[in-house]
Amino acid sequence: MSTQLTTYQSVREWREQQMRSVARDHHTLNQFHEQVIYQVVQMAQVRMESEWGKPPAHFAFFVMGSTARFEQSVWSDQDHGLIYEDGAEPSYFLTLGEEISRGLEQAGYARCDGKVMASNRLWCKSQHEWHEQLERWLDERSWETIRHFLTFFDSRVVCGEEDYLDQLKDGLFSYIDKHPAVLKRLIENTSHIKKAVGVFGQFLVETSGKYSGCLRLKETAFFPYVNALRLLAIYEQVTETSTLTRFTILAKKHQKVAPYERDFKNLLALRLRFQANQTDYDSVHYLDMKKLSRADKKQLKAIIKHGRKLFMNAKEIVEKGC
Amino acid sequence: MDSIFLMNNVWIMICAVLVLLMQGGFILLEAGSTRMKNAGHIAGKTIFTVGIASLVFWAVGYGFIYGEGNAFIGLSDFFYGDASSTVDGLAGSIDFFFQLAFAAIALTVAFGGFAERAKLSVYIVFAVLFSALVYPVVAHWIWGAGWLADLGKQDFAGSTVVHLTGAMAALAATILLKPRIGKYNSDGSSNNLYGHNQVYTALGVLVLWVGWFGFNAGSTLEVADAFFGYVALNTQLAAAAGAVAALLIAWAATGKADVPTTLNGALAGLVAITASCAFVAPWAAVVIGLIGGLIVFASMKFFDKAKIDDPIFALSVHGVAGIWGTISTGFFATPELAAMNGGLPGLFYGGGFTQLGVQTIGVAAGGIYAFIVSMVILVVMKNAMGGLRVTEEEEIIGLDMSEHGSYGYPESFGGDSQKPGA
Repeated sequence: MSTQLTTYQSVREWREQQMRSVARDHHTLNQFHEQVIYQVVQMAQVRMESEWGKPPAHFAFFVMGSTARFEQSVWSDQDHGLIYEDGAEPSYFLTLGEEISRGLEQAGYARCDGKVMASNRLWCKSQHEWHEQLERWLDERSWETIRHFLTFFDSRVVCGEEDYLDQLKDGLFSYIDKHPAVLKRLIENTSHIKKAVGVFGQFLVETSGKYSGCLRLKETAFFPYVNALRLLAIYEQVTETSTLTRFTILAKKHQKVAPYERDFKNLLALRLRFQANQTDYDSVHYLDMKKLSRADKKQLKAIIKHGRKLFMNAKEIVEKGC
Repeated sequence: MDSIFLMNNVWIMICAVLVLLMQGGFILLEAGSTRMKNAGHIAGKTIFTVGIASLVFWAVGYGFIYGEGNAFIGLSDFFYGDASSTVDGLAGSIDFFFQLAFAAIALTVAFGGFAERAKLSVYIVFAVLFSALVYPVVAHWIWGAGWLADLGKQDFAGSTVVHLTGAMAALAATILLKPRIGKYNSDGSSNNLYGHNQVYTALGVLVLWVGWFGFNAGSTLEVADAFFGYVALNTQLAAAAGAVAALLIAWAATGKADVPTTLNGALAGLVAITASCAFVAPWAAVVIGLIGGLIVFASMKFFDKAKIDDPIFALSVHGVAGIWGTISTGFFATPELAAMNGGLPGLFYGGGFTQLGVQTIGVAAGGIYAFIVSMVILVVMKNAMGGLRVTEEEEIIGLDMSEHGSYGYPESFGGDSQKPGA
């Protein structure tokens, strides 16, 4: 990593210089994103300390979504939160959250549309407040709170007290042990899989606008795999966040899951092969079908089909346990 | 007075009113399918073009169609008005009114291709010229003892005469006007410029659907044997099949059961059965409507790809479905109905290719004439009037404001405060 980085802009330039060389391999790319994000968070902390002084309490800064799952493509948006020690005032951490958001934005990570960011009070709370909020989300079981919970579950600490997040996840697992019916609600929330292949065997692509002729890769291909493995991880109380690592752990317990790991790896590779030159966050979710060969299309159809099967298998496993 | 004569006249008067009411359907359909900033304009222009079409039809239109003349055009009965005449068993004035309503519909179809970008003055001038020079000629060929009528062309209520003629004028206009601002991107992809009210559009389709019973069933021109009921049955079945087929094909092909496509499917079924409603069996009406629904979906995609911006799908609904409907009688006309209503049976009833050939010639001749003459008129107008289209700025603020000075929905646009140049 460069030691010359002093501004967010310089991080962005470094990111742009390196991207082409790291974007050939999924693992390398995600390790690089990790370095960039870590660098920005460190820089934001230094800036905070120069203006506001040392943090008033211990804290953990964590990422969620594709960053947490090690599934970022060339571009990705921000999803993060903060947990701080009980008793501390939120103002310092909200400002830190905003500083990190600003830094990440300047470094090339779009702000989250849904405001899942540490600068938002909903995602920046003390340990106790977090614990209460998570229980409330699960008690309420509305569409929105279940989404919040699922987003939260794919989380890992980037800097600070790792224990804080682990404790919260332990709390979640004991809640689920006491209320296994909540698993049904989690299944319901993720059961709808967007159709990607029509009755004539054709891809259901966008029909108008900038992305006409493109497939929405995120919703149609990724979500079934990500959602299936997350469901199983919750059910089996696995705290690992990467979908690939979840595969490794869960395939040992559930034979039915194992064959699909290869499909998911292929999907990640396929996305990288076609999206490496995209210039913004929006476009990485769309795959231009014109670029795909017949063999690519055949492979993608199989991946999509297998994603559905995997999700159904995961659903079956979890349903048996509720 | 003979009671049958009276009933015939009352029936056709009701039908004429139903056809006139179809303009209400067009108002809702067109306004709903376009953007809010053009809604007042689109609704208002429909009314004044009915005014222009009526006056021109009275002055020359009726004479060019039904006057004494030659195989190409009629040349008498201008400035129509004769209380004593009878035509086809109807009082002349009733027949005149019924025919007038059809002419106005053809003009409204043509104006579908002008939507959201043509100047108001262009609407006015073209309304006069189309009503005098385009529609009456095609109508004379097929309905007014012209050369296509002599060949035995079957077009019971106007798939070719009204719908294809209007659509070909719309095609000429669409080509010359070019796409609306924002319709196509620099990379060639197209954007959906969504209409502002699908409920209006759907209600417009329903009003048209009901009005179509005047259009088709009224074209029996009499109540004898209540044959109009049979025509109405075929009309209903084709519209139904068109709506269902379009819904299913859109759903299967794109994964979304697109509402505008479904609505266009119903209209395509209606347009398609318009030529053949008196010639075919009910099962054939279902097939004709069904195919109409399928081809309207394909046609919408085709014109979009060809970069022909057709805001209310006039080309697909009235043009492509009009062609299909006209040709379909060449396949499906039954011997009994052909004997009753003119022409020969279709290919599927042992009639060979004769009627199919006549139908194809009719479509080609009517379509080409309407397209070329409309194109010539519009090119001359373009040169004489300094262009057909409003300025870019006017198009962006919308035709309600640029052409009329007030919005169809003033409250949605901040009322007078947004008047340009204020």
